[in-house]
Amino acid sequence: MQYLLQKMVHGLLLILGVTLVSFILMVWFGPDQTYTLIGKNATPEQIEDIGRQLGYDQPFALRYANYVGDLFTFNLGASNSSGEQVSSILRKTIPVTLALMIPGFVLGNLLGIALGLTAAQHRGRWADRLITGLSVTGMSVSFLVIIIVLQVLLSTPYGLNLFPVRGWQVGDPLSYFRYVTVPTLSLIFVTLGYNTRFYRAVFVEESGKDHIRTARAYGASSASILWKHVLKNSLVPITTRVMFSIPLVVISGSLLIESYFGIPGVGKVTFDAITNGDQPVLKAVVGLTAVAFVLIQVLTDFVYKLVDPRIT
Amino acid sequence: MLSGLYLWQQLRNDKSGLAGLSIVLIFFVLAVGVWAGLLGQDWSVASGARWQSPDANFWFGTNILGQDIFQRSIFSVQTAFEIGIVVSVFSTILGAFLGAIAGWYSNSWIDNAVLWLTGVLDSIPFYLFVAAVAYALQGKGWAMHIAMIATFWTTTGRLVRAEVMKLKSREFVLSAQAIGLPDLQILSRHLLPNTSHILLVQTSIAFVAAIKTEVILSFLGIGVQNGVSWGLMLAESTQEVLAGHFNNFLAASGMLFALLIGFNLLTDALQDAFDPNQAAL
Repeated sequence: MQYLLQKMVHGLLLILGVTLVSFILMVWFGPDQTYTLIGKNATPEQIEDIGRQLGYDQPFALRYANYVGDLFTFNLGASNSSGEQVSSILRKTIPVTLALMIPGFVLGNLLGIALGLTAAQHRGRWADRLITGLSVTGMSVSFLVIIIVLQVLLSTPYGLNLFPVRGWQVGDPLSYFRYVTVPTLSLIFVTLGYNTRFYRAVFVEESGKDHIRTARAYGASSASILWKHVLKNSLVPITTRVMFSIPLVVISGSLLIESYFGIPGVGKVTFDAITNGDQPVLKAVVGLTAVAFVLIQVLTDFVYKLVDPRIT
Repeated sequence: MLSGLYLWQQLRNDKSGLAGLSIVLIFFVLAVGVWAGLLGQDWSVASGARWQSPDANFWFGTNILGQDIFQRSIFSVQTAFEIGIVVSVFSTILGAFLGAIAGWYSNSWIDNAVLWLTGVLDSIPFYLFVAAVAYALQGKGWAMHIAMIATFWTTTGRLVRAEVMKLKSREFVLSAQAIGLPDLQILSRHLLPNTSHILLVQTSIAFVAAIKTEVILSFLGIGVQNGVSWGLMLAESTQEVLAGHFNNFLAASGMLFALLIGFNLLTDALQDAFDPNQAAL
């Protein structure tokens, strides 16, 4: 109980921090919104009026409190460029991003675990060397390069020309498959090198422990050692890895993949907001994703406690 | 403590580490050549026709504007080193400083504050953080550098903190305390030098991360603002490849890949050299 309370306080402090950082960067230090909203030829009264609406006459603490309050009540305002409510933009785009990113994220981790296990089992032999070598190679290729190569190879007349070059016209499973394949492969390739190396290190360390040696000495089969001992005992580092790669892989990855392939998800919306300096969208996306990620971390801590009661 | 001779003895027997070091050194010489004004100076001159094939004049052909791709990719070596060095050095210094303070005063409010800050920075998705910094700084060229330094130090900070906590109960530290040396002097003279192996590896890792990040940020329009980089060349090439012109893409991605794999091999070798246990695994 004390553990859970401690983790919740920790999570609250983190939420305080991430909202503070996004508030300071985008609202407090951010560019003056007055003329974006009312245009160049405003009367002094209009300027004063809009300044009051934006809270420019209020102290730091109050404006920060308002920002957090708006964030948690999903009162996010309207986009500067389209005039649409940010909350309705997010409702439309979040499902697209999830449908786009989940397959690649899951497969990237599963393949990483499989390759990591294979390498760890054949430690020091050619299979291990091959896998480790390919991982380093994979880590040395830029995400952007992978996307371009796969696009040329799979979606243009210079390659196999099997899939659409860009876009997202998804209605049925077949069209989903057609549009999701190239982005999914890109995501797998960009994460596989890092994942494999990480999981290999985890499995190598785990299989060097005493209880594994004991199990082997007692004649347990290598399959049972693998599944019952190595994999099971590695669950905590695996979970940590998966959870902590969400912001980098899923969120940052969607920014690049969606803006490159022109897919209407959160990443594309964010990219457009960066390009246009659309403050309401930007501050909502940054604030909400950071808060969501803190919540995921707290949740992970709870799951650990369920999986392994010894953890403090 | 870190000794150059020891490091060299370890590296000498590591073939892939030596290969990595050589690649990095070759690129460094190119970067110095650009700095000295000897190489790649005509990167912005549109001297050829659009999309010329490679020949004696244009070794890698020309891009959509008729600029020499070879000159551009060479000049970009300097851009990459500039970003890599600035980001890796400053983020490592910041991480070493904050990590050492946190480790030395562990479980105090300073430690908690540093831990909280690392937690906060690690919780904001990185590209969104850069976007926020770029927005706050209104498209200034160094927004990218600041954002990377502000976030890359956290790993170094955590590792240094753990190492300092481990070291501070050792005899040499206790005796330094016993003869009454001030805390700051113990930290700077006795503890930080003993974390130099962490700092060196982390600098190398941050260098790789900075170069890779620049590519993505430049594509997104919040990276390099003036000048040319492999990231900007790749961003240009995204349109060209769809029209079947691959020279720009091949030059930028090839150079980028070579430098990255050089650094990755070097980093691995450094890690192995400092941690024989890990190498044996």
